[in-house]
Formats: sequence, structure tokens, C-alpha cells
Amino acid sequence: MNTNSSERDVLAAEYALGLLTDDDLRQARELFESDPEFRSAVARWSGRLAPMLDEIDEAAPPPGLWQRIESRLPASRSPSNVIVLQRRVSRWRAASAAMTALAASLALILVARPGQRPLQPPSTVPTAPMVAMLGDSGAAKLVATWTPDKSMLVVAASAAMPVDGAHSHELWVIPEGGKPRSLGTMPAGRHMMMHVPRTLSGMFRKGATLAVSLEPAGGSPTGLPTGPVLAAGQLETA
Amino acid sequence: MNSGITRPMRQAGSVDEGELRGELADLLRRVARGDRDALSAVYARTSRKLYGICIRLLGNEAEAQDVLQEVYVTIWRKAGAFDAARASPITWLAVLARNKAIDQLRRRRDGEADLDEASGVADDRPSAIDLLEREQDRTRLANCLEELDEQPRTMIRSAFFDGASYPELADRAGVPLGTMKSWIRRGLLRLKGCLER
Repeated sequence: MNTNSSERDVLAAEYALGLLTDDDLRQARELFESDPEFRSAVARWSGRLAPMLDEIDEAAPPPGLWQRIESRLPASRSPSNVIVLQRRVSRWRAASAAMTALAASLALILVARPGQRPLQPPSTVPTAPMVAMLGDSGAAKLVATWTPDKSMLVVAASAAMPVDGAHSHELWVIPEGGKPRSLGTMPAGRHMMMHVPRTLSGMFRKGATLAVSLEPAGGSPTGLPTGPVLAAGQLETA
Repeated sequence: MNSGITRPMRQAGSVDEGELRGELADLLRRVARGDRDALSAVYARTSRKLYGICIRLLGNEAEAQDVLQEVYVTIWRKAGAFDAARASPITWLAVLARNKAIDQLRRRRDGEADLDEASGVADDRPSAIDLLEREQDRTRLANCLEELDEQPRTMIRSAFFDGASYPELADRAGVPLGTMKSWIRRGLLRLKGCLER
């Protein structure tokens, strides 16, 4: 094996493991797209390392998760609405839409695509989209758009929110008069999009607060905010 | 996370495992034809394992649940790509779950909002799946990992179980990025050499 192919094989292993970032990751992705031999090498490494997956303890998913999956299955083999939506988001990003414009267009598109999912069971959860402007004493830092019938939360930041390796930004929903519930840590970039599990989606009502706190890397160890609140705002009907 | 802990690996090839393999392969063929009940049966047999993988890599239940949903929706769409002659179904599913979890970690890291763009390793096209053919025996992998020096072994396991990237591993170990890369690269080459002996 010559040096070049040996380097390629190591790159394939690094890619399969998920070690790569930035330029190396981009290079590996391009090779993965363009080079069948590289794809084979990545798959071989996945197979080599796969036995380690047997060491991981099993865990029972919460009841009701299967129903959520079933409701997401497309009736035909065409791309699901979620995927279509994600592609649209991607296009908006490419057009570098302004923050509020992004939030507004998301709300419009989500509203404009009703009735394409199976009927949901009757519930008291509101179905109109809502928006929260998360700010501090100065200006809004983030805009959150909540689309109840998709259980989809999109958060757009007015500027990148840098965070050092020792900390994470954690997003919370706080029902009026209730305790904060974690929505997980936020990615480092300017946009995030998440599907909110049913156990939490009921808390997205008018008057509920969305907040971002600074936490140790990986999120609050206690399940409640431990660090300073960086931005907060209330959900309002869009 | 306790990624450095080494535990003895379980032995492959029990009767139950053989039965499950055949059963899952049949179910995946039915899923490929659009049989929802078959996917439900796949879920009943595999969701604990795949959810465990998602939780291990992501470290929180909310994200693990999202990724688990993605995994089964992907199985629904891609079951036709599974080839029982080339990979064991449970390995295919477990690798798919890990890859989807890694993608989610990258989205967290890079702030990539677009799931399509983010997927690289979690490529689920047939070409990526064909090549699980040389799935290695667990004992052999464990032995070859044991042959490595402690640093690269610990780091490779950490990357595998935490989805940690080079910069994250270098940070944790308090060594320069270049040092971390050369440890792991040497380790991977030795590992490969051992597995191919």
C-alpha cells in the first residue's frame, strides 16, 4: 500500500469515527461523495469498529415514541414534509435572510402547509404558531418560532453566540408559575431547529418563557439552570 | 463520560442471535415493501439497543428521542438498501443509529440547521451499507485494541463512544491538536494491521 492510499484509509477511519472537523471534515465529505473507494473504506472501518457497539447498555425508550415515529412515516416514499421544510430552511440560510425575516417566513411556511399529516388526537394544545423574542436589557438576541402542529421549534440568533469549550448554552422552557424544563444544549451556530418531544410540547403556551442559560459543557448537571441567564422572553401568538 | 472503561466484550454467535438475525432480515424485507407492521416489529426488537446507543453518544434523552425517531424513519425509507448477504441486520441498524447520533453531535458543534447537509457519515445509501461485509469478530477487535498503547486505545474508545472530535479530545487530554492526531492515527494504523493479520 502506498503512502497516499494509506493516508486515505486513515482519513476514512477518522471520518467513520467522527473525529474530523472543519477543512478535514469537508475534504472527507467531498471524497465520500465523489470516490467509491473512499466510501468503501469508510464502510469497512464502520464494520471493523461496530462490535464495540455491543458494549453499550440498552435503554428503554419512553412509551409513545413508536406512535411519534409512525405519525412521521410518509404515506408514499416521497420525501417527508420535515425534509422538505429543512431544505427550505437551507435555502433561506443560503440567502442569508435577516433574523426576523427568517423567523417570519418559517411561521408562514409552516402555517401554509396544513393538513398534510395524519389527524392528531384532540388536545388542548394550541395550534397557532407563536414567537418569542429572547433578549436582555439591550436588544433581542434570539427569535424563537414555535409551530405546534409540527412540534417544531426554530431559534435564530442575531449574532453568533460564542461559547468556550468548558461551557454550553442551554435552552429552557418555563411554564407560567412552573419550573424550567431543559430543551437541551444549543449548537454553536446561529440557527437551531428541534423537534420538541410530546412530554415538553404542552408547555409551549402563550405566556410561557423561553430562556438560555450558560451551563457547564454538555448542559446543567442538575436538570435546572445553574448559570447566568443570557436571554429570555415570553411566547406570544405570532 | 466514562468512555475509558474497558469491559470484556460479549461473545457472538449464540442461537438467539442467529434467530434474531434471520427474523430481522425478513422483517426488513417486509419494511422495504412498505409494511408498517413489520417496522413496528423491528422497533419492538431493536429500539432498546438503538436508544441505548443514542443516549450513550448524545448524553440526553430529548435529543436521543429525536435521533431515534430519525433512525426509524430512515429505516422505513432505506430498508430496501439492506443486503442480508453482506451485513448482519442488527449491525446495520446499530451503525445507522451511531451515525445519526454523530450527525446530531456535529449539528450541535457546528450549528448546522439543515439535516440533509449535515449528514456525511450517516450516509444511508446502499453503497455505504454494502461494505459492512467484513464485520469483525468482537473478540478479535477487543484483542487488537488491547495491543495498542493506553493513550491511543483510550482516545479511540472515547471517539467511538462519545463521538468526540480531535479538538475535543486534545482539549480533554491537555495536549496539542497535532499530538492527538498522531496518537490516534498511529493507533488506527496498528489496529488495522492487527485486524488484518
